[in-house]
Amino acid sequence: MSVLTKQAPGAAASLAAGPPGRRKRGTARRRNQRSGYLFLLPWFLGMLFTIIPFFASLYLAFTDYNLFTEPNFVGLANFQAMTEDPRLWQSLKVTFIYTFVSVPISLAVALLIALVLNRGLQGLAIYRSVYYLPSLLGGSVAIVMLWRYIFGNEGIVNGFLGLFGIAGPAWVTDPNFSLSTLIVLNVWTFGSPMVIFLAGLRQVPTMYYEAASIDGASRWRQFRNITIPLISPIIFFNLIMQLIGSFQTFTQGYVMSAGTGGPADSTLFYNLYLYQKGFTEFEMGYASAMAWLLLMIIAIFTAINFIASKFWVFYDN
Amino acid sequence: MKKTATTGFSRRIFLGAAVTAAGLGLSGCAGGGSPAAGGNVELNFVYWGDSNRAKMTDAAIKVFEEKNPGITVKSEYQDSGPYADKLATRFAGGNPPDVLAMANRSLLEYAQRGTLADLKELPELNLEKIPATVQSRGEVDGKLYGLATGVTTIGMVVNKTITDQAGVTIPDDKTWSWEDYAKFATEVTQKTGGKVYGAGYDVSTETGPILLARQRGEDFYTEDNKLGVSEDTIREWFQYSVDLRNAGGYPPAGFFEQIGGSPAQSYLAKGTVASQIIPINNFRGYNEAVQGDVVLLRMPGETTDKRRGYSADPTMLWSIAAKSKHPKEAAKLLDFLTNDADGAAETLTQRGVPINPDVAESITSKLSADDTTFVNMMAAIQEDDLPPAYVYPKGASVVADTLKQLATEVEFGRITPADAAKTFLEKSNAAINK
Repeated sequence: MSVLTKQAPGAAASLAAGPPGRRKRGTARRRNQRSGYLFLLPWFLGMLFTIIPFFASLYLAFTDYNLFTEPNFVGLANFQAMTEDPRLWQSLKVTFIYTFVSVPISLAVALLIALVLNRGLQGLAIYRSVYYLPSLLGGSVAIVMLWRYIFGNEGIVNGFLGLFGIAGPAWVTDPNFSLSTLIVLNVWTFGSPMVIFLAGLRQVPTMYYEAASIDGASRWRQFRNITIPLISPIIFFNLIMQLIGSFQTFTQGYVMSAGTGGPADSTLFYNLYLYQKGFTEFEMGYASAMAWLLLMIIAIFTAINFIASKFWVFYDN
Repeated sequence: MKKTATTGFSRRIFLGAAVTAAGLGLSGCAGGGSPAAGGNVELNFVYWGDSNRAKMTDAAIKVFEEKNPGITVKSEYQDSGPYADKLATRFAGGNPPDVLAMANRSLLEYAQRGTLADLKELPELNLEKIPATVQSRGEVDGKLYGLATGVTTIGMVVNKTITDQAGVTIPDDKTWSWEDYAKFATEVTQKTGGKVYGAGYDVSTETGPILLARQRGEDFYTEDNKLGVSEDTIREWFQYSVDLRNAGGYPPAGFFEQIGGSPAQSYLAKGTVASQIIPINNFRGYNEAVQGDVVLLRMPGETTDKRRGYSADPTMLWSIAAKSKHPKEAAKLLDFLTNDADGAAETLTQRGVPINPDVAESITSKLSADDTTFVNMMAAIQEDDLPPAYVYPKGASVVADTLKQLATEVEFGRITPADAAKTFLEKSNAAINK
């Protein structure tokens, strides 16, 4: 029971106050909107710098721009060439596998850890920081380098397996394993969805659990029928954010393979290939077209999610 | 003299924008040579390398600035990977450096897009003493876009301390064949009880197959800028490594985690392999990094096949941007780097043997024992009748990437050497003929 009584003071206070009046809710909403836009302000400011390149790349997608000479309009030639480019398909394959394996796993791990932390541990702030830390670092060059060592031939993973007489594979250099190593790295950076989950869990009113346990519902039943529906908007939000982030993965592949997407194109993420096309093969027109294809792919998946969300996301208002 | 060393990390910021291929409009913001006041000209000079190379280069620049009052050189250096990225964006942004180092495989990518100056048009650069065979390596359609910083070639380095302890005799490198090398390497692995692999050369760098192709009577890259290597030669190159691995002379798949690092990071220095192929201008670095006595040998197969595979190759090339605002001064700097003995006294053989024979001669007394070994081997090789070699064609960087990718596929048995060779030719030809 101690679990249920240790709720955030804010949640308890709002419950005690009872449902707010209609007029009050209106001003609160306006205030919320204002602060919402305030939080978006940095993004709007950033937009000023990206809006020109954004439209420039749309134009360049229809040209043969090679970085050095004036672009010539070529119509849909770049998009046509994409359909016949085996490395483009390979990069899509890598990116899709990476996304559809690592996003569900990392969300599940994030939710699990959030549930554990939400039970009200001593020193919660420390645990939260410790678990959040990898997400701050996970995309950084230094951590990917560290990952190379951890999973290297003489790294601690194979050292550990060696204790049991198992000869571990070459996690980084074997094309059959290199992508899974990066998926593990991505799962490890579950911190930011975890923090959001944690915030969401704290918003679930304790009275529901109290009522459910009086009715004799099991822990699992409570999780399944109270927690999941009430935090479903949070799950939805995390899913969208992780999906978009995952489609845009670059640093991990770039650093792990020293920019090649290797071994044997097994970590050739879409964005890494886009970068190679633009900056090592100087086919910036093609690279721009690729960028727009990625935008469309992300838009489609986000749209599918929004449509699907009607069937499983529950808004409590 | 101003100098900045930048790490590659800033590219991440750039890449955030590249996600939407957005960087184009912003790429012009890198700092560059502004027209200086008081008749003083500031040149921007960029190259790749490590801090040791930078130290020697800085010393030479100082000499240049003393000899040329009114010209200030602002130099920058980086690792080769980030260097290539940054160079491309600077050219794209219309803000190229004045004088720059260029990789053989990138030269025509730049030159044939009109971004580099024809060095023959710049009278400040004296080419009188430069052999035609060296000039041809930076030339296309009669125009000179890149001038060798020096010449080098590849060679085999062997850790003699290991082979002596194992009781393995190193074959005579003047006459050894590829079979001799395989036998030698396998024997080293056997006699060290598998602790040291006899061979640890890099299968995925193009300099190896280029040499093999030449030995077999083919030009890897032909005079008319095409791919000339046969499918059979590439298959042979891959098959040789597979056979050597199966025999035990070469490490198992996945053993090499980092290729192309510094001598100190090499597997030769770690003592896990007994031999390696290196650009021989790096011999000194390897001998210093390795515990034990390292000997420099000629490549196998030089006398056992159709012809010599060796050629004196540009270590890298110097180029001048077509858009340089100070082509005169840039040419002066390039002339200094090529023809000035006082400058060469500072840089020595850091970028290969100087291409002006008089300059090369003038520094011989200043060289360390290891550098002398390198220079002597370079000279000895050139005494023989070597077949001509040509500039790398446009698309050569894709060829290099393709080789790397296929070498890994072969290493892990995902593709046969024969299929790899077929794919290599298809992809390489497509890139070059585009």
